[in-house]
Amino acid sequence: MDLFLQTLVSGFLKGGLYALIGMGMTLIMGVMGIINLAHGQIMMVGMYITYSLFALYGVDPYLSLFVSMPAIFVLGVTIQKYLLNPLLRAETILPENQVLMTVGVGMVLTEVMRFIFTSDYKSARTSYSNATFFLGEISFSVPLVIDLFIAIMMTVALFLFLVKTDTGKSIRATAQDKEAASLMGINAERITYITFGLGSALVAAAGTLLMPIFYLFPDIGGPFTRKAFVICVLGGLGSTVGAIFGGITLGLAEAFGATYVAMEFEDMIGLVMFILVLLFLPGGFKRITKI
Amino acid sequence: MRKLVTLLFMGFILAGSLALTSEQARAADPIKVGILLPITGKHAKFGEIEKLSFEMAVAEINKKGGVNGRLIKLIIEDTTGKPDVGRSAAEKLISQDKVVMLGGGYSSSVTAATAGVAINKGFPFLVNTGSADIITQPTAHTPSGKKAAKLKKSLKKEKDKAKIAKIKKEIAAFQARADKEVERILPRFSIFRLNPPVSEYASGLEGFLAEVVKPKTVAILHENSLFGTKGAASFEKSAKRLGIKVLLKEGYDAGAVDFKPLLAKVKSKNPDLVYMVSYILDASLLMNQSMELKMNPKLFAGAAAGFTLPEFKENAGKASEKVVSATLWHQSLPLPGAKEYFDKFRKKYNRDTEYHGAEAYSAAYVIADVLKRAKSHKAKDIRTALAQTDMMTVFGPVKFVSYKQMINQNKLETYVVQWIDGKLRMIWPKNLSKTHYVYPVDWLKERK
Amino acid sequence: MKVKNRRMMTAPLAALLFLLVFPLFVSNDYYLHLMILALMWVMIGSAWNLLAGYTGQVSFGDAAFFGTGAYTAGLLVNHLGWSPWWGIPLGGVTAALLGLPFGWICFRLRGAYFALATLALNEIMRHIATIWESLTDGMVGIMILQTFYAPIDSPIGELSSKTPYYYIILFMAVFSVSTVIWVMNSKLGYYFLSIREDQDAAESLGINTHYYKMISLGIAAALTGLAGGFYMNYMGFIDPETVFSLHDISIMAILVGIVGGVGSVYGPAVGAFIMVMMQEAFRTGGFGLLDAFAEYTGSQFVATSASLITGAHVLGFGVLVVLVIRYMPNGVVGDWSRLMKFILGRFQRQV
Repeated sequence: MDLFLQTLVSGFLKGGLYALIGMGMTLIMGVMGIINLAHGQIMMVGMYITYSLFALYGVDPYLSLFVSMPAIFVLGVTIQKYLLNPLLRAETILPENQVLMTVGVGMVLTEVMRFIFTSDYKSARTSYSNATFFLGEISFSVPLVIDLFIAIMMTVALFLFLVKTDTGKSIRATAQDKEAASLMGINAERITYITFGLGSALVAAAGTLLMPIFYLFPDIGGPFTRKAFVICVLGGLGSTVGAIFGGITLGLAEAFGATYVAMEFEDMIGLVMFILVLLFLPGGFKRITKI
Repeated sequence: MRKLVTLLFMGFILAGSLALTSEQARAADPIKVGILLPITGKHAKFGEIEKLSFEMAVAEINKKGGVNGRLIKLIIEDTTGKPDVGRSAAEKLISQDKVVMLGGGYSSSVTAATAGVAINKGFPFLVNTGSADIITQPTAHTPSGKKAAKLKKSLKKEKDKAKIAKIKKEIAAFQARADKEVERILPRFSIFRLNPPVSEYASGLEGFLAEVVKPKTVAILHENSLFGTKGAASFEKSAKRLGIKVLLKEGYDAGAVDFKPLLAKVKSKNPDLVYMVSYILDASLLMNQSMELKMNPKLFAGAAAGFTLPEFKENAGKASEKVVSATLWHQSLPLPGAKEYFDKFRKKYNRDTEYHGAEAYSAAYVIADVLKRAKSHKAKDIRTALAQTDMMTVFGPVKFVSYKQMINQNKLETYVVQWIDGKLRMIWPKNLSKTHYVYPVDWLKERK
Repeated sequence: MKVKNRRMMTAPLAALLFLLVFPLFVSNDYYLHLMILALMWVMIGSAWNLLAGYTGQVSFGDAAFFGTGAYTAGLLVNHLGWSPWWGIPLGGVTAALLGLPFGWICFRLRGAYFALATLALNEIMRHIATIWESLTDGMVGIMILQTFYAPIDSPIGELSSKTPYYYIILFMAVFSVSTVIWVMNSKLGYYFLSIREDQDAAESLGINTHYYKMISLGIAAALTGLAGGFYMNYMGFIDPETVFSLHDISIMAILVGIVGGVGSVYGPAVGAFIMVMMQEAFRTGGFGLLDAFAEYTGSQFVATSASLITGAHVLGFGVLVVLVIRYMPNGVVGDWSRLMKFILGRFQRQV
């Protein structure tokens, strides 16, 4: 029973972080309709910002959220404005050029970071990195619990932003129907900058929150990109609530897979779920939750 | 279109011919040695330690006058940790840079792929880290050799005597065929290995376990890589030999965030020994999270690689304390120059080195020695000189012998180290160690 | 799509002639090795182009087929003791056998969803090859002996063991490109193009799009599988991370297609040479030219910049990819006239 509960707790806590990663991706996918294959790499850049602040000035990783998120927002806007949007105007056979551009961007980001920070493994060990508290025999990692709490707050904030503000409403409108939105006078291009920036900032937040418990090197982005699209498809493209479900489902599935099957199946379980959802529940959990 | 194609090839050939003419050998020119290392990519950390050690050793050799009056020039190529890139690099070093021999070779998969290039040409290649057994086992590459190995495995399950005899006959037939197939490449089998194969990494630890810890049960966790899988499999065999019951043997993908479900499962099985084959950061995360779960087995033991690097202590903090690991080398070993190498490295680069660095440093000295003894710098003479190597290095004695289907393999002892008060100390074998091991350990108390 | 006039045929034929005689003049193993790799990518790129460029179904999972082909060859040696050369034809068959049911299931997905499904297939195959140790030996990989050897201790650069491999892969590459040309000149080609242009319209005309997409995928997978089988034979070593690599195989296949030119017969062929040569040029600092230049001039500045450039080789390559996609979205072949105009325009202004 302890084993079961411990697995449940671990999976759920990890799922909170996954939700944050997935939410960034799902926003971008919903509005632009493209897979951002540089998502994990953008997160990696955010982690390096956090790391630099920690190593140079001793800034607590949680505080550096206030730096890493705006910085990556700007990075996201720049990528969208100068690299992705111009491709929309080009006459090409395939619309996938944008996706490939994100691959190129991912490569460049990784290598720039390698150039600056070398391939060495970095980590920001804080006094609370290994702090735990126990409920019965079940261990809770303090940083992960804080992470979950922050992730929930950000989700709520994002939700309010999308529902209450004009910009948020425009983003939702663009996601639903781009042409109709531009006919209504929404500056669709501006919306794409903001969305990409916002999506990037969210994943940068996830990276920053990971920093106290994880480590960092330039190639760390790839696996997280893959996790992000699994989460998105589970939740339904463009659905923020779906991303939360998707993230937690993936976290739980991985944890239970590791405990009751074998840890080497961890990634397989996510991918098989992903294909099944694609085939039998296209649209993901959005179909069920309707949000 | 046509212009493009012509342009492309013109440029290509121009580049080639220019590079060729600039490299006509002159007698006073330095002797070029090609080194294959991962300078970028996920193994770059180890590649860097080896690169610096190679450079340090060659600088020393050249300062003392080089080899027979000629200096050694290292041409270090980046394999990026990928087999196909490693192969391109090896082809370039041999055909374009015209090096006299190859050295380096970090990860097993890249080494295995580049070994193919060397064997094809009979080109001498001194491997100093790639540890998969098959790298120095030519028969294991042949179809019949593989079939024989498969049959041998099936033999263990068989009980019927008549069938056993039949299978044994088949094995002999396949083995004979494998020997014949391998005859073709034996004269050109030019791979020499300085470090022990992965199946022997834990041999030193075996002694420590048998005499001191005497565990009854073990859980083996390993990274899903050539090194991890093979290391775990060979420790499983050691465990059987020592009468330790394997409760669990599980792989994981490097880079996992959360090991808690796996560790909780290990905890619920309550093994005496937790044995891990991991690279550095997985190793730190495993130890950290085992602390968070309050695991308390008799011993946590690692299989070299991640558990001996200075970064392991930095990242795992107090969770690293008293962790035991197998190792191939330690600076406190009574080997000539071992301590000096460690101190020099620290002074020159302002950081710590460990066994990978010692491997590279020794390999450079072996290369210099071989080049000195070789009649000429043709591949054939260097192969002969390599085969006759018998010298002492900071990494231990180097002499290439054949055993257990391996050829040109250096046979070395392995050792056991323990993190005691934040320092990596050698604790086994007892007669060579200056520090006494700390055992038993109460991990809960240790990690408060 | 029909080859309209003779002039369009001269450039490819000249290139083919050049490729046929190349080993007669160059026996440097390193250059032959790069040519072999480039020709292998011609195969993979053409196959990807058939599915993506002509049928409009972008695959992010070519490595699944490539790896299946490579493992077919390797497993034949490991388990049956056959010659690995059987793995080339059979690798094509197994790759197609993987592709067809996958297509049957996943072609109901469109656009980005299909691309994601192929990406997942890629990852799933990699995991299967890693985990199913009793069959594949997992991460230990498969190592086999090569078939062709140089005479032992022959002077380096005089006789090459690579010539047979070179002609085999040249034949295979020509076969792939011809297959694509043949398919696109047949009735199938029209169906493929109509699916790419407007799937719904194609369906309303009574074209069974699901069926034709599967045929396209089947051919592409088989060609990629053939290349995989060759890779096993040539490299002598495979492991799941190498042959099922998302980054080094699947994405590289797309880059080859995109850089060369999507939806043009010779685009991927040109792209393959550009990508392989560029990657190597960046890795080695212009094939060692930069170093030689630094040594020649004795300039410290050149030496430092040479080592910097070589050190950041992947960065240079990445920047190049970004620039090509940004400024030549139809690839070198697709945007050839634009590129020429740009260069000539500059030139004329200078004059």
